[in-house]
Amino acid sequence: MFSPQGLGYDRAVSVFSPDGRLFQVEYAIEAVRRGTTACGIKCNEGCVLAVEKRLHSKLMEPETVRKIFMIDSHIGAAISGLTADARVLINYARIQAQIYRLTYDEAMQVETLTRKLGDLLQLYTQHGGVRPFGVSLLIAGVDMTGSQLFASEPSGSYWGYRAVSIGGGSQVATEILEGNHKNEMALDDATVMALRSIKTAIEGPLDPEKVEIAVIPADVMVFKKLSFGEVSEYIGRLGGEEEEKEEE
Amino acid sequence: MSHDVSKLRHVPVREEKKGIKVAKLVKLKPSGYPLRALGDEKEQILETDNPELFQAYAREQWGGLALKEGDFVFDSFLYPDYAFQVVRVAPGGEGRISPITKIQLDLSSVRKSEITKRYKRNISLLDVIGQEQAKKKSKIILHYLKDSDHFGEWAPRNVLFYGPPGTGKTMLSMALAAEARVPIYLNKATDLLGHCVGDGARRIHKLYDDARRNAPCIVFIDEFDAIGLDRQYQNIRGDVTEIVNALLSELDGIEENLGVVTICVTNAPALLDEALKSRFEEEVRFTLPTEKERLEILNHYVQKLPLKVKADLEKLATLTEGSSGRDLKERILKNALYEAILDGKKIIREEMLLKHLDVINIQKREQDKKASRIFS
Repeated sequence: MFSPQGLGYDRAVSVFSPDGRLFQVEYAIEAVRRGTTACGIKCNEGCVLAVEKRLHSKLMEPETVRKIFMIDSHIGAAISGLTADARVLINYARIQAQIYRLTYDEAMQVETLTRKLGDLLQLYTQHGGVRPFGVSLLIAGVDMTGSQLFASEPSGSYWGYRAVSIGGGSQVATEILEGNHKNEMALDDATVMALRSIKTAIEGPLDPEKVEIAVIPADVMVFKKLSFGEVSEYIGRLGGEEEEKEEE
Repeated sequence: MSHDVSKLRHVPVREEKKGIKVAKLVKLKPSGYPLRALGDEKEQILETDNPELFQAYAREQWGGLALKEGDFVFDSFLYPDYAFQVVRVAPGGEGRISPITKIQLDLSSVRKSEITKRYKRNISLLDVIGQEQAKKKSKIILHYLKDSDHFGEWAPRNVLFYGPPGTGKTMLSMALAAEARVPIYLNKATDLLGHCVGDGARRIHKLYDDARRNAPCIVFIDEFDAIGLDRQYQNIRGDVTEIVNALLSELDGIEENLGVVTICVTNAPALLDEALKSRFEEEVRFTLPTEKERLEILNHYVQKLPLKVKADLEKLATLTEGSSGRDLKERILKNALYEAILDGKKIIREEMLLKHLDVINIQKREQDKKASRIFS
């Protein structure tokens, strides 16, 4: 039927519409909403990324479905949107981080990496014959300037956040984050909050196989994915806190 | 071949017979055409701009005819073969038209039948489950229609009902129509589209002309997204701008539509023109039913089923997340009923209901699967 926008101006990415919009880029942002929810929080003690995994078959190996990636030892990224597009971007980010290290003999700043990714994303919105990446990325890490968290989108724009959520349930998840985030909070509490926002977005019980969490503590500046056991523990804590609240 | 016209009962005879006296008053009711091809447009009801003028016209063409009540007379000039029925001849029930006969056009019964259409079904506001905001708005409208003078310029005017399919938008409108005792103009949006340029606008203006004359009244437009499209679609369908402009002027333009409440129903509010949307004082959202509402819906319809149902409806309500009221009635209950009938059973059991629920879920999952595999 009709597309709500467009009418000939939405076919090619390199064409503006009469009212100054790039429809392909906007559609790519819509594609991100089809991905599952990902959530990132930064605090003085470090950063945490939490995602909901979608398993479309009971026979899938949950460990092979990855939404959180290490980019460099001090930077991690979470993706939401088209899986294959995301893979390409992660590869690019990893190479860029190493190029920087080799060139300058120091760890790349999180914003610098995000900007490089943003430049690549932007390139694909201004070329003929290509389409934008249908992926949003959460890039979290700790560098010489402290804890950093950025979110990029298919247009190539990126913004720094204290806490942010992308993907399908992002609106619901963001409400939890807005109400409760504090810069001084402990990384531990931030992890629980991230998990809670994922849980609210899922609207159902949390399954450790369907959740991925990674942290970059500010003291060690090293990216670490939580193990199945650690994730289960946090989920258990979340359940405990809710029961306490109900009893109150 | 000549027919002996005098033997035909309903065709008046033009005679100057001294025996038939002059009629003092004749009342004619417009009756339509004797023949119409199947599928042609609906019958026209004629009216006159000037009763004296009609009288002169009628005297000129039917002068001399001897009429009795029940006869038909046919127009020869403006609307050839359009028939008028003689509803009254005074005195005496029969008479001859003369230059002094008063001839009147009787539109009273016609008007009523045109307006109070046959759509009034047996639905009340109580049949609609959930949708509290919509019901509140309906109550205000009913309140206003009972007492329109009181409201004055604060009258409810234009309301938009929108939401997913099967959530009771049209149903609530029908219930409102049934409970309100004012004329209701029920329009499918495609009724207002025309064949030629300018036709659509004309139909909309005609609709509101009629509505204004019969205020207070309600105008319904179902499937509003067929006509209220954003004007950027002008390239795809050439009459969008024309129709939208007609609607804009009627909903809140030059015409003061005091007493006319317009209710528009749509599944696709995103397609509507912004200026049109701003004319609606309220956009009422219809939502898919909650678990409690689903249970109410199931209970409501199970009572009406011709066969008994033996099932745990609470369980069914829990399992039908995401289903609309229509889904529950038509896709689950109805299909289970048909299966029971075909199997010769007297009772609809829980397994039958669950089986049809499964069918829906499998279909939904198939659709979702295809879409979501490439995303994570």
